[in-house]
Amino acid sequence: MNAPVTAVLRRVNRTLLGLAGLLLVVAGGAVLAAALDLAVPSWWLWSGPDDVLLTAARRQRWRDEGWWWPTVIAVLGVVVLLALWWLLAQFRRGRLAEVLVDTGDGDAAVLRGRALEGVLEADATAQEGVAQARVALTGRRTAPRTRIALLLEPYASPGQALAGLGGEALDRARTSAGLAELPTEARLRAVKHRARRVN
Amino acid sequence: MTTPERPTVPPQTGGTGGAGEPGGAGEDGDGVPVLAGAGTDPRRVRRFWSVRRIPAALVAAVVLGGTGLLLYDVAAVRADRDAMSWRRELADDLAGRPLDDGLTVAAAGVTVLLGVWLLVLASTPGLRAVLPMRRAHPDVRAGLDREAAAVALRDRAMEVSGVQSVKVRMGRSKVAVRAVSHFRPLDDVRADVERVLTDGVEDLGLARPPALTVRVDRPSKKG
Repeated sequence: MNAPVTAVLRRVNRTLLGLAGLLLVVAGGAVLAAALDLAVPSWWLWSGPDDVLLTAARRQRWRDEGWWWPTVIAVLGVVVLLALWWLLAQFRRGRLAEVLVDTGDGDAAVLRGRALEGVLEADATAQEGVAQARVALTGRRTAPRTRIALLLEPYASPGQALAGLGGEALDRARTSAGLAELPTEARLRAVKHRARRVN
Repeated sequence: MTTPERPTVPPQTGGTGGAGEPGGAGEDGDGVPVLAGAGTDPRRVRRFWSVRRIPAALVAAVVLGGTGLLLYDVAAVRADRDAMSWRRELADDLAGRPLDDGLTVAAAGVTVLLGVWLLVLASTPGLRAVLPMRRAHPDVRAGLDREAAAVALRDRAMEVSGVQSVKVRMGRSKVAVRAVSHFRPLDDVRADVERVLTDGVEDLGLARPPALTVRVDRPSKKG
């Protein structure tokens, strides 16, 4: 699997969000069902509207067992660590510092990511109709990818701007870094401007 | 609007991916066939899916804070210190408050709604402001901001003579244009605007060009 970092993160985020949502729906729904006196089966956690969320007896059921507190602490610790990792993962941008260039003679050269980003930005901005371009290299050293944000000038054609980007700018970057392919995600926006009357 | 392959046998076949189209096909078919022939599928263009960083960060922070605090307190009690007062109060409350108490029911309701919201976030693409563009190059996946598309169409429509002002409402599958014209016959202006905008929509290079509706009015008399 050669999935880019953001794709992995997207899958992880969506799976965990879905699980959390499911958990909340089930827990809230179970309480609601009992609270509203719906016919709940006998194994239901709560028996009816007069029940309480957590009785003292239930809370203390395993308190005297030797394994109880170590287990509680271990589970809480694991959850804390996972949540911490999940939280920190949101702030990682996965930007590439360097790209490995195959020189063809057995040696490998290293190209600084910033340099390639700069060249791509200059090439993209040089096109007609592009006011500004921001490029971020992602992926891995041997298989880089790019994310490009183009800011279109007024009266530019988005279709043409994209064709120019895919045709020239990326082509040059690909050949100069000796890459077979350079998957790119581009997002096109427009400079805000007022309507101008021509007649 | 862009029916990928000409649907000769509409009902049974092709029920997999491109089933969303037939609705718009009957409306205004001119100008589109060319487009459909040229620009669609080798690979189907998919929508952009948001990574959902912000909701994930929020949920992670809440879980981290809650379990962290509980872990700290449980460990503190194990080390022969007193439990924090909130824990004792919470335990009393959980054991004392009946399920049909207003607060419990409200909290359960909010929990369910929150859960549904998270499920929606997890299963929908998001990024509704980004319209996927046609693949001009196999390596490049591009999306156009809805606002940018609206501005581009507005600029095109403003170039038609007789048009005084234009409002563009850009939807994900439809674009509604309202122009105000202060001279020339309305029908002529409408025909021109429609022609210009049909080209304009094509120029946006979208994977699924939106259906275009144009309305042209006279400026309202004020006074």
